[in-house]
Amino acid sequence: MATGMIALVIGLALLSPGCGKGGDERIRITIWHQDRIDVRVILQRQIERFMALHPEVKVEQLFKETEELRSGFIIAALAGQGPEIVYGPSDQIGPFETMNIILPLEGLFEKQWLERYDPRALTWYRGHLYQVADKLGNHLTLVYNKKLVPVPPTTDQELIDIGKTLTADLNGDGRIDRYGLAWNYTEPFFFIPFMTGFGGWIMDDSGQPTLDSRGTVDGLEFIKQIRDVHKIIPNEADYNIADILFKDGNAGMIINGDWSWAGYLKAGIDIGVAPLPKITKTGLWCGTMVSPKGFSINVNVAENKKRWVLELIRFLMSEENQLEATKELFTMPTLSSVQQSDFVRENEILRNSQIAIDHGRPMPVVPELRAIWDSMRPSYQAVLAGTQTAEQAAREMQALALRRIVEMNE
Amino acid sequence: MNSKTLRHRLYVFLLVVPAFIVLFGVVVYPFFYNVVISLSNMNLRHIRDWKIVGFDQYVKVFTEPSQPDFYMVFVKTIIWTVVNLFFHVLVGVFLALVLNQKEIKGKALFRAILVLPWAVPQLIVALTWRGMFNYEYGSINLILTQWFGLPGVQWLKQPFEAFVAVIITNVWLGFPFMMVIALGALQSIPHELYEAADIDGASWFHKLKNITIPLIRPVMVPAITLGTIWTFNNLNIVWLVSNAGEPSDQTHLLVSFVYKAAFNFYRYGYGAALSIVIFFILLAFSLTFMRRSKATENVYT
Repeated sequence: MATGMIALVIGLALLSPGCGKGGDERIRITIWHQDRIDVRVILQRQIERFMALHPEVKVEQLFKETEELRSGFIIAALAGQGPEIVYGPSDQIGPFETMNIILPLEGLFEKQWLERYDPRALTWYRGHLYQVADKLGNHLTLVYNKKLVPVPPTTDQELIDIGKTLTADLNGDGRIDRYGLAWNYTEPFFFIPFMTGFGGWIMDDSGQPTLDSRGTVDGLEFIKQIRDVHKIIPNEADYNIADILFKDGNAGMIINGDWSWAGYLKAGIDIGVAPLPKITKTGLWCGTMVSPKGFSINVNVAENKKRWVLELIRFLMSEENQLEATKELFTMPTLSSVQQSDFVRENEILRNSQIAIDHGRPMPVVPELRAIWDSMRPSYQAVLAGTQTAEQAAREMQALALRRIVEMNE
Repeated sequence: MNSKTLRHRLYVFLLVVPAFIVLFGVVVYPFFYNVVISLSNMNLRHIRDWKIVGFDQYVKVFTEPSQPDFYMVFVKTIIWTVVNLFFHVLVGVFLALVLNQKEIKGKALFRAILVLPWAVPQLIVALTWRGMFNYEYGSINLILTQWFGLPGVQWLKQPFEAFVAVIITNVWLGFPFMMVIALGALQSIPHELYEAADIDGASWFHKLKNITIPLIRPVMVPAITLGTIWTFNNLNIVWLVSNAGEPSDQTHLLVSFVYKAAFNFYRYGYGAALSIVIFFILLAFSLTFMRRSKATENVYT
């Protein structure tokens, strides 16, 4: 009797998922992405429109944190599983290609269709196309509160001057209540514009690090100076602190990316967006890293789904959908016709965003970039903590990056 | 064997099978797969064509120069675990003793308040403490400077201070567990023992030493063992409060070191070898601690 009962329970348990599956015969497509909530809402709206057009397809979007998305996709794809589409910045293409877990796309999309997009939206790596992007940028700009900064600085000296005017102890308690500028200055990604402004860059064309340079040293010293000599930035600020300071009106300017603008506007701040200033000493603009954000296809995608996966990507990258996202998020579209649209050309934020993109440099997609970021962080922070000189830091960054690249590739 | 016995055995077997399948799937198989990976060269360049290379990865764990240094991270992990456990037990048992007093009114309310750190998600706790440790805007420095007239501490910018900051956060997070366990153990001690001690004229300290501590030991030792393993392997607090090892990779523990190796640098073989090393460290500790503390012996005999 007891054995019979157990057999019945096990039997029912085994049967029940089968029943559920049988109820929905639609083709299922899953997208993994790491986009914040306001982007997800737009994506969901677009997915629903797609499903209304194609009732035989069910599309699901799944949010993952950046690291979780990367490692989770690697594990899933190596096991022959995972989402059909993975969406994100182009720097994940290098490791994904090296592990052979994404499909080359040049044979899947028509040449004429690809030609409609800004070439920077198409991420080629080792001779193959691995990502088609619907957004271009992911770049840093100078965001300023128009109430406090009527005209944004265009040079480093203007930045310091405006910063000094704004930085003040407003209530006379001996503590600074408002800073001229704030940003997440402990993170190397935010250091790149200063490095490029002083003529440096992270790697050469062969993927070897070029961190031990005058650009790195001068960039590091510049940041230390504006903190310790000019005192226009907080003594300590991570992303959240800088963000709160700006939102509360306690920082007149913030260095932040295109992902932040819609949030500031929603918070009711009258913001302006400007390219990061030019460094007087070199005559170079502080050039940010620019990266497209787009779609790649899992190498394990089932043949019967491939057609729908391509159809979905084409749909999400269509003119209507790009314009919708651009209007709500102020992200730079990749379709040439949308880039030329009245909205993009006439919108002040997007116009300045385009200038910042033009001043920037494409983010490398090689896997070694990871080793370089991680090698920059300790020495960069040591300079800010006052335990290393800028010269020492540049040397150690370079040495560590070289060693880590060897370790990664052994 | 008659059919009744056979049916009984089959019944037992069927009851055990689901648990065994789950255990095999989530513990046994991943563990042995991890052992295999630790003996391989699996990394970014050999993710599909990996092969067994023997103990190379283990040799690298102990000999390869690393940033941060493996032995330094190991020592820090030991300090982190010992200091945390010391305060978890000290604060936890102290509060349990206080809450166990008959005279205390509103025990349920105090208990609820004291368990609060345990109930809040770790992510929220870590990020809140990170904000509190900010040099200029954090409440800790504001209290130090404005209430006590002391200079502000650069909690998150200097290696030692950052390490102290993550320990403070984890002490705050960890004591409720020990308090709840100790309170349960205290409530199970027969009251007659204290009455007999009172008749014999025993002092509070004598009762603590000769009744309370020996009788809560069988409960506390496994809790301390578990606490040690959890604390040794705690990634969340260090990673989030110190923002992934800041400043300058000086606040890493062995487990965050493994995480970086495996998931940031795709060195899966090396990461697996390091995780096996951690496993053996914790296994050796647990066995030694359980044996030396005689936790499994019956205290009433």
